Amino acid sequence: MTVAGTLAGVLPSGRRQPILRSSRPALALGGVILLVAGCAEDAPQDTWQPAGPNAQKIHNLQWPVFAIAGVVMLIVMAAIGWAIFKYRDRGQPLPKQTHGRPTLEIALTILPALILIGVAVPTVGTLFALAETDDTECYINVTGQQWWWEVDYPAQDGCGGIAEPIVSSGQMVIPIGTKVLVRGTSRDVIHSWWIPALNGKRDMVPGRLQTVRLEADEPGIYAGQCTEFCGLSHANMRMEVVALSPEDFATWKERQLAPYEAPAADTLAAEGEATFLGQCARCHQVNGILDADGVPFISQPELYVYSEAAPNLTHLMSRNTFAGASWDLLIPACRSEVWGAPPEEFGALYLQGITPECLNQVDLREWLRNAPAKKPMYADPTELAATDDKTRGMPYLALSEEQIDQVIAYLMERQ
Amino acid sequence: MAIIERPVPATVAGPVAPTVTPSSSLGVFRRPVTSSGWTSWVFTVDHKKIGIMYGVSAMVFFLVGGIEALLIRAQLAAADGTVLTADVYNQMFTMHATSMVFLFAMPMAAAFGNYFLPLQLGARDVAFPRINAFGFWSFLFGAIFINTSWILGGAADGGWFMYAPNSGVPFSPTNGIDMWAVGLVITGIASQTGAINLIVTALNMRTRGMSLMRMPVFTWMILVVQFLLLFAIPVITVALTLLIFQRQFGATFFSVDAGADPLLWQHLFWIFGHPEVYILVLPSFGIISEVLPVFSRKPLFGYPFVVFSGAAIGFVGWGVWAHHMFASGLGPVSVAVFSVSTMVIAVPTGVKIINWTLTMWGGKLVFSTAMLFAIGLVVQFTIGGLSGVTHSVAPSDTQQTDTYYIVAHFHYVLFGGAVLSFFAGFYYWWPKVFGKCLSERLGKWNFWLMIVGMNMTFGPMHITGLQGQPRRMYIWTEERAGEGFFNIAFWNRISSIGAFILAVGILLFLINVVYTHRRAPIAPLDPWDARTLEWMTTSPPKEHNFDSLPTVHALDEFFHRKYEDVGQGDEHDLRQVATAEEILAEQEANADHHIHLPSPSYWPIVLAFSLPIIGYGIVFERVIAIVGAVILVLAMFGWALEPSVADDSDYDPPEPEPGTGLATVGSTA
Amino acid sequence: MFKTGARFLVGAAVLATIAAIVYGVAQSGSLGTTGLVFAACALAGLATVNIWTRDADVSAMDEAARTRSPAATAPPGPSIWPVVAGVGGVLLVVGLVTYPVVFIFGLIALLATTAEWMVQAWSERASADAGFNAGVRTRLAHPLEFPVLAAIGFGIIVYSFSRIMLFLSKTGGVAAFALIALLVLVAGFVIAFRPSLRNGAIAGVAVIAAVGLIAGGAVAALEGERELLPHETTGELAALGECDTTDETEADENASQSVAAKSNLAGSVILRADGTLVADNADVAGSDKVFVVTKSNATNVRFINDSDEERRLVLDLGTTPALEENGEPIEGTAVPFQYCTALVADGGQQFLTFSIPTASVFAEQPYRFVVPGVAGAEVEVAVS
Repeated sequence: MTVAGTLAGVLPSGRRQPILRSSRPALALGGVILLVAGCAEDAPQDTWQPAGPNAQKIHNLQWPVFAIAGVVMLIVMAAIGWAIFKYRDRGQPLPKQTHGRPTLEIALTILPALILIGVAVPTVGTLFALAETDDTECYINVTGQQWWWEVDYPAQDGCGGIAEPIVSSGQMVIPIGTKVLVRGTSRDVIHSWWIPALNGKRDMVPGRLQTVRLEADEPGIYAGQCTEFCGLSHANMRMEVVALSPEDFATWKERQLAPYEAPAADTLAAEGEATFLGQCARCHQVNGILDADGVPFISQPELYVYSEAAPNLTHLMSRNTFAGASWDLLIPACRSEVWGAPPEEFGALYLQGITPECLNQVDLREWLRNAPAKKPMYADPTELAATDDKTRGMPYLALSEEQIDQVIAYLMERQ
Repeated sequence: MAIIERPVPATVAGPVAPTVTPSSSLGVFRRPVTSSGWTSWVFTVDHKKIGIMYGVSAMVFFLVGGIEALLIRAQLAAADGTVLTADVYNQMFTMHATSMVFLFAMPMAAAFGNYFLPLQLGARDVAFPRINAFGFWSFLFGAIFINTSWILGGAADGGWFMYAPNSGVPFSPTNGIDMWAVGLVITGIASQTGAINLIVTALNMRTRGMSLMRMPVFTWMILVVQFLLLFAIPVITVALTLLIFQRQFGATFFSVDAGADPLLWQHLFWIFGHPEVYILVLPSFGIISEVLPVFSRKPLFGYPFVVFSGAAIGFVGWGVWAHHMFASGLGPVSVAVFSVSTMVIAVPTGVKIINWTLTMWGGKLVFSTAMLFAIGLVVQFTIGGLSGVTHSVAPSDTQQTDTYYIVAHFHYVLFGGAVLSFFAGFYYWWPKVFGKCLSERLGKWNFWLMIVGMNMTFGPMHITGLQGQPRRMYIWTEERAGEGFFNIAFWNRISSIGAFILAVGILLFLINVVYTHRRAPIAPLDPWDARTLEWMTTSPPKEHNFDSLPTVHALDEFFHRKYEDVGQGDEHDLRQVATAEEILAEQEANADHHIHLPSPSYWPIVLAFSLPIIGYGIVFERVIAIVGAVILVLAMFGWALEPSVADDSDYDPPEPEPGTGLATVGSTA
Repeated sequence: MFKTGARFLVGAAVLATIAAIVYGVAQSGSLGTTGLVFAACALAGLATVNIWTRDADVSAMDEAARTRSPAATAPPGPSIWPVVAGVGGVLLVVGLVTYPVVFIFGLIALLATTAEWMVQAWSERASADAGFNAGVRTRLAHPLEFPVLAAIGFGIIVYSFSRIMLFLSKTGGVAAFALIALLVLVAGFVIAFRPSLRNGAIAGVAVIAAVGLIAGGAVAALEGERELLPHETTGELAALGECDTTDETEADENASQSVAAKSNLAGSVILRADGTLVADNADVAGSDKVFVVTKSNATNVRFINDSDEERRLVLDLGTTPALEENGEPIEGTAVPFQYCTALVADGGQQFLTFSIPTASVFAEQPYRFVVPGVAGAEVEVAVS
């Protein structure tokens, strides 16, 4: 019983194979086509649509490398496909038992090495260019916390001059064409700040201060997401960078530093202020709010929240997302108007803030009704032994519908 | 322990009774020396049985990890998924990765290594058989220990990379992470002891004539992997110990308010983690380097290059770990260094792909299922490797890292690399291990469903990653999925459908196994006309592997015994001069007398059993740990007392015939 | 059939059962009852095993063989263990009234005696062949003795070496370390290249080395450690009117005393030679009089002392109410709320880790870095 006969007995005849065999490279090619097709769409966090010089530098490095990789892949697929087709068993005798050709192998080792050297040189150059911090024109501090972002602007000469610190959350507003340096850290676990249209990501590590450059070419809103696993609601930790023209930015700054205006007496908003003071203000700071005795009320989230902070709501309605930027404050129609606005109209639309007819009542009310049910957080008071009875996230407040109406009315005045 | 003095024979006269030396068997229990039944598996020290047990256990955990993956894909199949809550989802992806990396891929490579390394070297067993058994049982008990966390308060939920400070008690209060860390220390013991064992075997127990450069490539890759394990396992053990101390004993290694740096964990983990991925994939390279030459009917192209590139990957693999940390703020100098070193490591990997392609070039390709899996691996791994090259460019990695693009990359190299090679190995070596060939018809269905399913699941992840979907998201929403038809929503659905197709493919493999063992005929000795020494045995091999240890004259010794080149000058004309059956018969005719094999023992499993007890003690109740420690010390003690070969008095007479079943020992003829 | 051991265990099991019943009825505490029930079961199990193995007593199997057996009639050999037991007992008692170390030595001696004496007695009764008995004893005891003795030996070597290192000055320690390592290397070379060295020679060298090491270690241990790190307690600082907290801890216990974690800095605060204090915020061009910090973040700052004297950096966060024993604030009181470094030598650096929960705009007094003893050395801390 010869070996060939054994093989023939065990395996089906080689002659029926060719179509299936040569379809493998075709599958690969189809994959490439799909890949290209997929990249053509318009996702808000698309990494191939740079909107600023830093992301552009990365893109200029990235797509040639992809192209080279694609070409190499096609060559390898073609070689394999050809080998499968030409050298399949058609009954020929045993082939020559070659053990290798050292010159060919050395050449085929040197060639990829040269290609990679060609890739390495611009890589290192781009790396150092992106790490430059000396030409910064404006500094913004960012602090990640489970599961939202705090953005604060220290007093400085940059960004057209900021007289007093501005504290915000979820949306970072910057002037266009300005080299902004984000200096970031975290209050609890490692998070990561990523606005794909403007630059690569940078981890926000507690105890460390990391920097990443941002610069936007045109007005618009650029979406991002936390990209380092940070626990339960990692998927619900988003942020946006809003770029405004220098004039619009100056207007925004003015409004952020405007003094507090209490609601007019006997309005729903005034009742809302009282409810806010009773239910919300112990964690959420509103700058300038006065308590019942007329003393400025200072929130103390460090007593209730493990990571010791909660979003500052002084100008909540000047932003258009909330709860870690996971939900919109705008109804879909208004949202697509603002987010999809062309650059020259964007600033004015953004500065409109949230008008009553555009307010997304559904999500906001759900949130106020029962925050932990809407966004997974650690707020069950019976399970907080590991964090000294402090919550990680917003607890359930058992607000009545009436109280929710009041609070929304009050918040609508925080423009 | 009663020592019995045998009565003195009455023939001796005289006032002083002579001294009598009692039996030297001091143990209460006899050694387990049966060669059949369940006890012959539980107490075995035979590398082949241990290899099969590793393989079966690894397969079980492959299915466990696969179910975890299917649950993940089910949750992400639709917007606002409700299959899993956020908490369970986090546990699910942590355990999916842990199961696949530590409880499937590493032990499956150990299965192949344990079974075939001694056979390919022409040895009768490994250097330390009882340690080999201990390693398997440690792995199994550690794996079960980790999985019991599901029912003991929740599994670990910090991701398989378990970054600090998220791994600390305030952020992960359940016991899941503690059990994860302790369980991995236990399975690490298994890998470490196995590494020492196989290194000593490969360096010391090669048969006559087998120099290092005549070892099969599979053996070479396994040897490199063992060296990687030898140095990498201590690193992860240190990291896990720091984590256990942080969580259990209030240490402040990762506490930021005590001045610690959370990046310490990342460095420790990735110094282990990067060699770990080469540990996962180099055995696959070895298996493919065996399968491709056999089914191309010509030797591996450039054997020295393949061997040296494997060793080079092993070395350079220690210098690239921070490419997992490009976004973590290391500073441009460090990032540049690691970016360049990552590009360097692409070169030896590329060499292998080239050599495999050139092996097929000019051959006589037979498309058995094993060959299909091998070719599939070359294609899929090329895709995964090239996406890896795009990551090595650090600035563009800051856009890609922590997105689904990375998930696509490592699933192509791990699934398309490690898993496809394991299946190639199954279809190639099944007849040798079990005596029957797996059905080729079912095998082809198995292969194609797996390929289609795999590409459908992981291919779109390249796209979703580049479209900005981060990893480890328990939910996605329509509002944030982007415009257009081919948005994140669309590709996630495709991925989920692909996952279920992949599952069907794997199910077909299991069906194939059952079908084969019920219906298929006994396989011939050498169905694939193979090249290496393990085929010079019966199917399955006898317990002592070779009746007479072969002398090796060349690489691919078995092939050279079957075929001679009678061509003149430049021409080649290979004639078959012997069949596998003839070669085996010659071996049996020259069988060695007094084949010396180590005896089974129960100390390895007893010692291994003490480890999870200590584990439960550390996590739950310290007193239990003391009990476990006592068992540990006593078991080590008993093991040290026990000789490697059982005494005559442990056997029931009569002894079996030489050459069948259990080998005899020493004195009796 | 029931030898001594079996009788003891069965009796103990019965006792435990009775105790379990009594305790369960009288106290009705489930933990104690469960414990006693388990103890009874364990003892019963041990009793069963003991009976099955006949308490390792040959005579139980075969009374006739026992009386005829030479092993039963051979006299026991000499042994040091009774003496060691006596010494151990005395040390135990003496240690109770003097030093705990002596008590521990006594305990170790008694434990060792228990194991060794039992093994010796048992092995002597095993057979009449003294050579076989010795072999049995070594086979049983050596796997335990050698590791324990080796561990003790290593412990002594490590302890002696560490005392020597802690006693010598920094440079002296480096020199000693290098010298000892060189000696070991030379010895290794000599042994490797002269394989026919006599055992006596090697043993002699090892003994001399061991005696030298242990003697050196003993002397160094008695002399005490050199001055390693400045340890100030907050009590001492409070006496100076600085860093008054109610916890008696070491100054700046949290952060590293050296500047090991240079990559974790939010910036530096530099005391210049001219007595000015300057802030250098990380990645912000130009130096400032303001140090910018975000609230409730663990922030690391490096203090650089470029002046000519030892100085410390103090982060002054105003005042805070004094705390009672249980941590409750006492109304109406105010104590300084400060974080301090230890005294830093001129030209030195130190790390400081702190976290400020309240923003500057809401603080009653402004936050600032100061250097006590240097007037005008002040940097504002802006917390947002």
